[in-house]
Formats: sequence, structure tokens, C-alpha cells
Amino acid sequence: MILIVAGATCREAIRSRAFLGLLVIFAVAALLTRVVGWVSATDGNLVSLDLVMSLQSVIGVLVAVATGTVLVQSEIQQKTLYTVLSRPLPRWRFVIGKFLGLAAALVAGQVAMAVIGLTWVWITGASLNPWLILAVAMTCLEVLVMAAVGICLSMLAGPLLSAVLCLAVYALGHSVATLPQLIDHLEGWKRTLAVAAAALIPNLGYFTFRGQAIHGHAMTPGDVATAVGYAGLWIAMLLVVAIAVFRRKQL
Amino acid sequence: MSDMLEFTQVSYSYRGDWLNLVHALKEVSFAVPQGCAYGFLGANGAGKSTSIRLTVGLLHGHRGTIRLFGQELSGEDHRLRARVGYLPEQPYFYDNLAVGEYLAWLASLSGMAAARIPAAVDRVCQLLDLGDLKKRSLRSFSKGMRQRFGLAQAIVHEPDLLILDEPFSGLDPLWRARFKEVMSLERRRGATLCFSSHILGDVEELCDRYGVIDHGRVLEQGSLGDLLGQAPLVLTGTGEMPPGAQPGADGMWTLRFADAERERVLAAVPAARIQRLERQRIALEDWFVQRIKATHHAGVKLESRS
Repeated sequence: MILIVAGATCREAIRSRAFLGLLVIFAVAALLTRVVGWVSATDGNLVSLDLVMSLQSVIGVLVAVATGTVLVQSEIQQKTLYTVLSRPLPRWRFVIGKFLGLAAALVAGQVAMAVIGLTWVWITGASLNPWLILAVAMTCLEVLVMAAVGICLSMLAGPLLSAVLCLAVYALGHSVATLPQLIDHLEGWKRTLAVAAAALIPNLGYFTFRGQAIHGHAMTPGDVATAVGYAGLWIAMLLVVAIAVFRRKQL
Repeated sequence: MSDMLEFTQVSYSYRGDWLNLVHALKEVSFAVPQGCAYGFLGANGAGKSTSIRLTVGLLHGHRGTIRLFGQELSGEDHRLRARVGYLPEQPYFYDNLAVGEYLAWLASLSGMAAARIPAAVDRVCQLLDLGDLKKRSLRSFSKGMRQRFGLAQAIVHEPDLLILDEPFSGLDPLWRARFKEVMSLERRRGATLCFSSHILGDVEELCDRYGVIDHGRVLEQGSLGDLLGQAPLVLTGTGEMPPGAQPGADGMWTLRFADAERERVLAAVPAARIQRLERQRIALEDWFVQRIKATHHAGVKLESRS
């Protein structure tokens, strides 16, 4: 049942005009990164590569936020789930199926963007290394965590507010890594707030490997396992919250 | 005959605007016997769709008992819904899935065996003229075409109970007639039919039982034959007018009387003067409007005629 829902969700997402549109936008932007590389004072190839990888991450996260926050909400508003949930399908399977379908579409998008972007910079003279593939995989994990954040927040707030909150989580998620060092210097309520923020916001720094990969630096198997486990744990927790709220929703 | 769907003293409330409590259903009781066609009548906001959505599990948290196929519905009881086909009011569908794959997907969600799905999809596509559109996505579908797809998805898994919420909305006369044919075919297949409609002529044509709901209460329910049978008899004759008769054209007269007076009236009028005896036809539309108006004037009065 979960895979049946996931399959349809993935097909629906991949065939949407927005999905193809974003791929086109990425392709055009990736072409332009080469121009930035040519005019940069430092190694143009590295600059182009860095921009392509960053662009892929940003577009991936934006798509994850935009689709994750409306994935179930739009179905409730447009009533498309009436003909689905009136069948013998428990709601928890529906939410997990929707997430897996979206995850498959997002990963497909990431792979497509990586192929387009990396092929372009390779054709124009940049050298590639195998660690870039791992960097793309890490970006996929980050995108999946953000999609789960989007789904979870959309159960608690409207689409617009949940999208704003989701972007705030993304911004904080990249700075939360610095909180442990900061916490030692804080006292009282500021310390409590920092501890709570560190606990409530996923540390997206675990998935940021682009900078090292571009320079051919390795990522240890331990770091990879930690990142995968961390992403899995966050996704599971966020989906549990989303399911708990969705099960109580009146449609 | 067992009941396919039974509501017993079901109440349902929800928080509306400004968190005020809205009582959508108030101790609603009705039953849909196996094999019958049940017409659910009521004005907008009467509680028809709420009852239907409670049945198919889109709403929950009701008080009272809802039994589906004889089993009490509980929040986690999903398997029973494999035997239910549901067409929502103004159905919306995913835009980017093709008709054929969408129907196959929904059939598999209903638990239909994979080997049976292609034939089932072909059957409903043929019934609703969707065969040529099987590979087309629903994005370009008109309202009527979506309604056709809606009925197709409701019957594709051959349900035992077919619940249709305003099935004729958005259809032209030709497709209304086709929908009625398909619904009759489903009944002949063995499905029990339960549908809500504003178009009372359709209810009269298709249903053998009815229920009237207004402001969350069932005002009246029973056999449509009994309801139509309540209409007075009309005796048309010639010659000397009996007391209470109305003069008509060409020296004819007509006399209206209830079933209970039949023997007394016929005994009082010589057989030679009788031209014909027939039952006056009730316009269900007029009856419904009068029934609702009378209730609003007299205050809500629960009544059941089973």
C-alpha cells in the first residue's frame, strides 16, 4: 500500500510542470556559472563547480520546502485525498507513502541536476573526482530532511507559514553546529534557549560536504554513517509527529 | 435482509469559525438494506455529506453507532472500506496521472488482485466512454469528464456498497441518463446504492427507499413506494356528481379521496357512471419543499416511517 501511494506520488511530482521548470532553471543557471568562473580571479573551474553544487543544493531545498509544505495540505484543500483515504488505506501509510514518493522525485531531481551540472563543468574543462558523488548524496539527505520538516510543519500550520518556518529551520540548521561552542559561554534563559534550539533544529551541517569534495578531500565512513543515521532519525521523528497530527484531522 | 449501512443515534459536532461548536448531525438514525437503492434527500448543509464522510472514514469522532456491513465502524477499521465505492461531491483528482493508470492505482489501493485490475479498468472505461482517454491525464478534463472518471473510480473495484454524493452534478442530460444506466447495472451486479441528490426526480426514478435530512436530523424515511402511495385516489365519472366532487370538462367530474375511503366511495357511486380510477401523481419536488417548510414552521419534529 505504501509503495502504491509512493509510486503515484512520484509519478505525479515528476510529471508536474513545476518539476520540469525547475530543472530548466537549474540548467540555465548552471550554464551561467561558467561565465562567473571565467571572470573570477581565483581558479575558475573550482568556482564553477562550487556554484553548480551550491545551486543544486539550494534548488533542491527550495523544491523540498515548496512541495513538502503543500504535499498533504493541498490534497486536503483540493480534496484529492477523498478518493484515496476512503479506501482501506490507514492514514499513517498515506503519509509515509506520500513522503517516500516525494523523496523519490526529489532524489531523481537531484540526480538529474547533478548529471546536467557536473557534465557541463566537465565539458568546459573542470576536473571531477569521485567525492563529488558523495557530496551529491549528502545533499540528497539534506533535501529529504527538509522535505520531512515541510510535511511536519504543514500539519501544524498553513502552507505559507509552514514554508516560512521551514526556511527558518534551513537557515538555523546550518548555524546550529556552532551552538555547542556558544552554549558554554551562555547562562540562564539564554543557555536554555540555545540548548532547546540545538535539540529542536536538525543540524544540517552534517550534510554539507560540498566544499571538501570540490577540493578532493575525503569523507570518512564514520562521518557518512553518522550523516545517514542522523538524517534517518530526524525524518522518522518528523514523520511520527506528522502522522500523529494527520490521524486526528477531520477531512 | 441485512443492513449494509446503519446509523444509530449518530451525532457529530465540529469547531467552526471562531471555534463555536457546530452540530452537523443530531442523533441521526437510518438504515440502508442490502440490495436497495437509498436516496438521501436534504437541502445544502443538511448533513448529507457529513453522514457520508463519516461512513467512509474522512471524518471521525462521532457519538452513536455506525455499522458497515453489520460491523461497527471504529477509527482504525479500514478493511471494511475495501467493499465501499465512493464518489465525493465535486470530485478532484491528481492532474498528472493518466486515466488508465489512475484507475488501476485506485483499484489496487482497494485491495483488488493485480490480475483482475486490467479487465476491471477496461470494464469501467467502456461503461463510461473513457476507453479513448485511458492514456490522457486528467489535467485537461472538463467537469463532466471528471464526474465520469469519478463514477469509474467508485465502481472499478466492484464494491458491495456504492456511496455517491451528488452524482449527477455537472452532467448534461445524456450523461445523466448514462449514469442512471450504470447505477442500475451496478445494482443488478449486486451492489447496494446510497446516494444524495438535490434532483428529486432522479431519486424517484432510481430509489426504492429514501431518507430526508434537515439541519442534522432525519425528518422522515421509508419506502418510496409507500410515500408515493400516500397520494389520494382520483375517481373520474359522468352524470350526477357525488358529494365533494369537482366539475370538469365535457360533463365529467372528479372526486379525490384517501385509500381508507375507497370502499365507501365506490359503493356510493354506481359503476356505470365511473370512467376511471387512478392515483394522483405526487411531484416529489413539491412534496419535499412542503415537508421542509412545514418542519421549519412547526419546529423540528422527529418522525420515522419505516
